[in-house]
Amino acid sequence: MSMIIESGGILTTVQDGGRYGSQQYGVYPSGPMDDRSFRMANILAGNDADEACLEITISGPVIRFTENAVIAVTGGNFTPELNRNPLGMYRAVAVKDGDTVSFGYAKTGCRCYLAVAGGMNIPDLMGSKSTLIKYGVGGYKGRKLASGDEIPLNGTPDAVSDLTARVLPAEQIPSEVRTVRVILGPQEEDFTEAGIRTFLYSEYTVNPVSDRMGYRMDGPRIEQKTDGNIISDGIVMGAVQVPTDGKPIIMMADHQTVGGYTKIASVISVDLPVVGQMKPGDRARFVAVGIEEAQDLYAAYLNELESFKVKMNTPVSYRAPRYFTICVNNRQFSVKVEEAE
Amino acid sequence: MDDVRFRPCGDRAITVEFENEISIAVNKKVRALQCALETEEIPGVIETVPTYRSLLIQYKPAVIRYAPLVEKVKEKLSDLSALTLPPAMITEIPVCYEGEYAQDLDEIASIEKKSRDEIIRIHSGSDYFVYMLGFAPGHPYTARFENPFSFKRRKSPRERIPGGSIVVQLQLSDIIPFDQPCGWNIIGTTPVLACDFRKKNPFCLHSGEWIRHIPITAAEFRSIRGKVEAGNYTFTRREYKG
Repeated sequence: MSMIIESGGILTTVQDGGRYGSQQYGVYPSGPMDDRSFRMANILAGNDADEACLEITISGPVIRFTENAVIAVTGGNFTPELNRNPLGMYRAVAVKDGDTVSFGYAKTGCRCYLAVAGGMNIPDLMGSKSTLIKYGVGGYKGRKLASGDEIPLNGTPDAVSDLTARVLPAEQIPSEVRTVRVILGPQEEDFTEAGIRTFLYSEYTVNPVSDRMGYRMDGPRIEQKTDGNIISDGIVMGAVQVPTDGKPIIMMADHQTVGGYTKIASVISVDLPVVGQMKPGDRARFVAVGIEEAQDLYAAYLNELESFKVKMNTPVSYRAPRYFTICVNNRQFSVKVEEAE
Repeated sequence: MDDVRFRPCGDRAITVEFENEISIAVNKKVRALQCALETEEIPGVIETVPTYRSLLIQYKPAVIRYAPLVEKVKEKLSDLSALTLPPAMITEIPVCYEGEYAQDLDEIASIEKKSRDEIIRIHSGSDYFVYMLGFAPGHPYTARFENPFSFKRRKSPRERIPGGSIVVQLQLSDIIPFDQPCGWNIIGTTPVLACDFRKKNPFCLHSGEWIRHIPITAAEFRSIRGKVEAGNYTFTRREYKG
């Protein structure tokens, strides 16, 4: 009744929607780096959108199932395979007792998500299954997955019906320069006009020393009025800190809850998944938007998730189109079958 | 209230900023606003993070948008002086200042040109105010009114100091909850845990409270450590009376 991890991959952790309510005690929320792919995986698998999934980074695991299950994989393309055949992404897939799912290297993006219908049977820590990796607690034994690990499943594959209708057109992850929209501030006033122009008109590259805590960006120095130190205040995911050296750092899911560097801007919520899918070497440009626009976009995002969830949970008319993945000569094809008029 | 600024932190949080200084008076305003939000919740507010002079408020824009949220917070602020804060608590933190538990005590004594005993009396002789928690789960940022010590950070940080270390500089004193790098001087070690994830409420301190360091012997350290590890240790806490 479980998933056996035959090899763990570079960084595979259990993440759910996040651990909220304790940031005032210094507990960062964790949760997914790409919220959108994470939620889509859960909706496809018939789960609550914030159910715990595996977040798979850069190079993925090999997992063997010891029971029948329904899974969904979204996010970056790690060329996942089911028993050595290409595994369709962005769809619900039935796996059987004894099946093996394996992930290669991230050809696009940086992370992908594996959701299992019914979720994983692992204990909560302070109401959440997210891994607090820096402190070795939460998730699966407080660490990334390793060979030999066994994750019990709650197992409700029969509750998920009509798998061929549980499909989302695959999200395209851009490979050229990403546009990342931000809201300026809270310490906008501590930057010179030149500094803000530099930030908004330059290209920044993700430095290899980047992780779930933050993305260090290489590029032109951002000029500020002071040495970049402030009386420590609160930090949110997406906050762009600028230390004394002028190089921006985008704080991400494992951000410290408080910090003493100036923050020039914050990435808007709907663009956090864009950042979460960037790898070292990827490039970004920042664009300033107003808070009204950002909140409109966020409302549209929530509506999109909700509509998709309703669509997935509505019994499908037998006339509805079905989607299949067929494999011909080792190449994968997505086929849509519609009843003829 | 003059001198209060509202700053958006992205599209799902705002920072309410009071005066730009580290003082108990300003921090009390942060704490008062946090209490006001806990007592009578604004629908849509998820959680708050108090810091030295600001309160970070995280919210759901689907329930309340930026402008209306700022208006509601302003309403709370206009009532603040009427709000009575719950009584502050003071927690005793046992500290061993002996031998290997107080790695830098000799160096501190040398810098301050005082004896070891005098340094211990200085550190344990005053209450420290907990401005906020952060950096690590349960890690308190605490300070007292005057600068008992003249030094700041060490020349180079250590790659790893043990959890339980009590580190000091100027008027600040921190409890390091977990093994981590640190550039401050280690004055002693506490056998208690600032963060115990085994407990339903893992944290012993809260922003706006006080702590007092109580000198203990190495033997007492071992005894308390045993209780802590067995999950049997109870903190000594009481109402703080100035």
